[in-house]
Amino acid sequence: MRKALGFLVLLAGLAWAQTALKVGVILPLSGASAVSGKAALNGIQLAADEVNATGKAKLELVVVDDGTDAAKAVPAFTKLMTVDKVDIVIGGLVSGVTFALSGPVKQYGPLFLVIGAASSVVEQAFEGYPLFFHYHPWDYHNVAAALQFFQYLNREHGAKKVAILYEDGPFGSAGIGVYKQQLEKLGYQVQAEPYKTGSGQFTAILTRFRAFAPDILYWIGYDVDALPIATQARQVGLRPKLIYGAPPSWPIGFERNPLSNDVAGMTAWLPTLSNAESRRFVEAYRKKYGEVTEEYMAPMGYTIVKSLALAVEKAGSNDKNRIAEALATLRMNTPFGPLAFKPSDTGKTRYQGFGADIWFQFQYLEGSRRPVFPKDKASRPLRYPGEYYLR
Amino acid sequence: MRELSHLPFLSFFLLLFALLPFLPLGIWGAFLLDVGFFIQLFTAMALSWDLVARTGQLSLAHGAFFGLGAYGAGLLAPHVGTLPALVFGAFVAGAGALLLGSVTLRLHGLYFAIASLAFSEVLRTLALKLAFTGGPIGLPVPPPFGGVWPLAAYYLSFGVLLLATALSHWAEWSPFRLAQAATRQSEAVARVLGVRVVRVKLWSLLLGSLVAGLSGGVYGMKTLFLSPYDAFSLGRAVEALVIPIFGGLYSTLGPLVGGVVLVGLEQALRLWIKEGYLVVYGAILILVILFLPRGLVGLLGRRRG
Amino acid sequence: MELLLQTLLNGLLMSGVYALVATGLALSLGVVGIVNFAHGEFLMMGAFLSYLFFALQGLDPLFSLGLAFLAAFLVGGLVYQGLIRPVLPAPELNQMLLTFGLSILLQNLALLLFGADTRVVAPSYQAATLTLGPFFLGAVPLGAFMLSLGLLFLLQVFLTRSRLGLAMRAVAQNRLAPGLLGIEADQVYLLAFGLAAALAGVAGVMLSVILYASPTVGFIFTLKSFAIVALAGLGNLKGVVPAALVLALAEALVSTYLPGGGGLVEAVFFLVLFLALVGRAWRSP
Repeated sequence: MRKALGFLVLLAGLAWAQTALKVGVILPLSGASAVSGKAALNGIQLAADEVNATGKAKLELVVVDDGTDAAKAVPAFTKLMTVDKVDIVIGGLVSGVTFALSGPVKQYGPLFLVIGAASSVVEQAFEGYPLFFHYHPWDYHNVAAALQFFQYLNREHGAKKVAILYEDGPFGSAGIGVYKQQLEKLGYQVQAEPYKTGSGQFTAILTRFRAFAPDILYWIGYDVDALPIATQARQVGLRPKLIYGAPPSWPIGFERNPLSNDVAGMTAWLPTLSNAESRRFVEAYRKKYGEVTEEYMAPMGYTIVKSLALAVEKAGSNDKNRIAEALATLRMNTPFGPLAFKPSDTGKTRYQGFGADIWFQFQYLEGSRRPVFPKDKASRPLRYPGEYYLR
Repeated sequence: MRELSHLPFLSFFLLLFALLPFLPLGIWGAFLLDVGFFIQLFTAMALSWDLVARTGQLSLAHGAFFGLGAYGAGLLAPHVGTLPALVFGAFVAGAGALLLGSVTLRLHGLYFAIASLAFSEVLRTLALKLAFTGGPIGLPVPPPFGGVWPLAAYYLSFGVLLLATALSHWAEWSPFRLAQAATRQSEAVARVLGVRVVRVKLWSLLLGSLVAGLSGGVYGMKTLFLSPYDAFSLGRAVEALVIPIFGGLYSTLGPLVGGVVLVGLEQALRLWIKEGYLVVYGAILILVILFLPRGLVGLLGRRRG
Repeated sequence: MELLLQTLLNGLLMSGVYALVATGLALSLGVVGIVNFAHGEFLMMGAFLSYLFFALQGLDPLFSLGLAFLAAFLVGGLVYQGLIRPVLPAPELNQMLLTFGLSILLQNLALLLFGADTRVVAPSYQAATLTLGPFFLGAVPLGAFMLSLGLLFLLQVFLTRSRLGLAMRAVAQNRLAPGLLGIEADQVYLLAFGLAAALAGVAGVMLSVILYASPTVGFIFTLKSFAIVALAGLGNLKGVVPAALVLALAEALVSTYLPGGGGLVEAVFFLVLFLALVGRAWRSP
């Protein structure tokens, strides 16, 4: 009898392992955030291949493009729910679009594994939704990580004045008030100026900053602004001891540009990280796509699918609630470090994956980005002051 | 009466939209309803653009009217309820239109287009900088009627389309049409003919902006979130202009057909071609202009000259 | 005072590239009569050409200037022959939609070929600076400014001295004139459209050094060029340089002197334009 039961269980287990679990993927593959969206998709597909190759779970991806636009994302999401009938969705890279999805998500009730959407307004929109798993840190985590670095610069290097350039869209402006306040609390003098991203016109603002003589030039904007800022700071004779930036991605070819030397920035991941999971990921990525990615959204997508597969295996079921339960108690190592879900700092959502500790600071040194802070991740000491000061 | 020959087509489209939630579409039903929602809104935008264009004013400010309506309705909806908020949003858009219209009365063609573009960009910056709009972080908007009725948003957008079609149809088949056409062809001649040019232009712009403002208001209630870059986007104005040209200018049927085909096509191409679908989209626009200079309704054959 | 002069210098340098791009647009608008929404895409091509030669061949962008001129001229000519000529008799709005479709097509082709990433070049002189007493002048913006002026000067010579150039001006002033002069309008149109594209292509190379190359780099320049051309008066080639100067100076002054001005630059750009258009319309009945 017991044997028969065991056999039945085994059979049932085999049965669910055989039936593929359909997973919806909704990412910006066109429009303003296509670079991050495609990187994320590459990571997701790589992980799905690996999972399917092990045979422990079988994932079938249904990919749709949200066009970085609410008007395109909402119908695409509805299609995933009603036509493809998926119970699990990976997506939500851009905050505004993710907010628009909060309506249909609550209507259809899928397990929603969120890859980006750092703005805490999104957290309010999903408050109380039980199947919301947010992997990416929230914006207040980003602020906390940057402030930690500033505290170090102040304490160890005597930095006292920060000039902030922030783009006037949601990315640059959302946390600016908090930043200013917190930096002043740390003992900094702060001057902050908005700018229009992509305009390439910084000479006027940088000229004004010259009188302020900042130790740190901090810009919160996009990849398009990286080179113009590095160039024009030199041209107007501004000599900060550190140029520090926090764009979601960096321009291609910037590392080969001598002007990038000693420019510092914040990221969650670099292909040169030395942890075992990251090295394995980089190797697998190179094998599948023939290149190394610099976008942290690629390992983020990879991590989500890997954690999902583990949860499916642990739950022994394709049921979204059982998988969610398994995911909630999951512990695993990822290219970003250990992952475990806990309630968010504000208490509004129950499952927050990564926090401030995945962020680290890097510096462009001899043509590549190397971690310099915090100590446990640093592969090189921070060069402070940078060569733009020493000239 | 030959002139009313488009009425059956119009009724057909409107009836189709009215009944869409009840058609047996199987698993595609919910998806088509969502697509239909946006088709209705963007088609209403296109009709309202065409209404203005019939006086020769090429508006690039429709994105601004849309944004004014969206923000007006979004800011007020939590306090006064859905319908009053939408009406308020439309009035805000209307006020913007009267302001724009009254100072640009003497600008024509491309000059008006660029002035209206400038107007739109200035307003977007205002929405970004003013404190009560939520600024760059954005503005959460509640769903219509507290979200109790799932079809509410759909039928609100149907209502906007219905209004846009009715206005456009009225303007097409009343003496107003002659006044508009005369104004478009030559304002000087129109004046001699006794057309009150100023009034015709302002009324057209006002009516167009009211519809655009309503579209914006309903849009916000569906996407639940507004940001200045999204709500005041120039892309919205350009879409409102592309649809009528694609479908057929200075008519009601043209923008209607154009909206259904173009917005539907965009959704379909994105889902099935995926990468690079916009290349195909751009190529289709070019081909239609090269081979169907009167737009899609040119296929129907006869049209007034 | 020093700050004011430096600000004016910044504005002046920027006006060169603006004028170069806008002159191309004014040519296609004034001579061919086409509202070309795809103008910025010729610029984008120039920027990518410069990036590709730099990344693959290590070729200095200076060499790409000539290549981009020729390549954009060629593409512009082809676009004219294949797409623009058939719609010349069509209503203005149809032409607008055609060029708009072309703009979407070209942008997304670039997106397919290169991805949406921002790409930068790194010539050795990128951040070189000339110091004149208390003033700073970026070598690249200065070079771009001089080159723009040089090209516009050559264009002026061409328009006033050569037969074809005279014909072009005649067309710009009066669409009936070329028939009277016995000049093939078609040839003039082709040349004008090609030249318009070529000017944008050259500007694209300069911008690849000053800014970056990406599929969407051209958009804002199309927009600003329209603003400049409208300010100058449609079809008025001579007004383009002063109009570009006015707008560039307005931008520079705002971002220097207004608190939070960096975020207001575009709004002011368009506000100036709006007031100028409205003001002019009401002044001249």
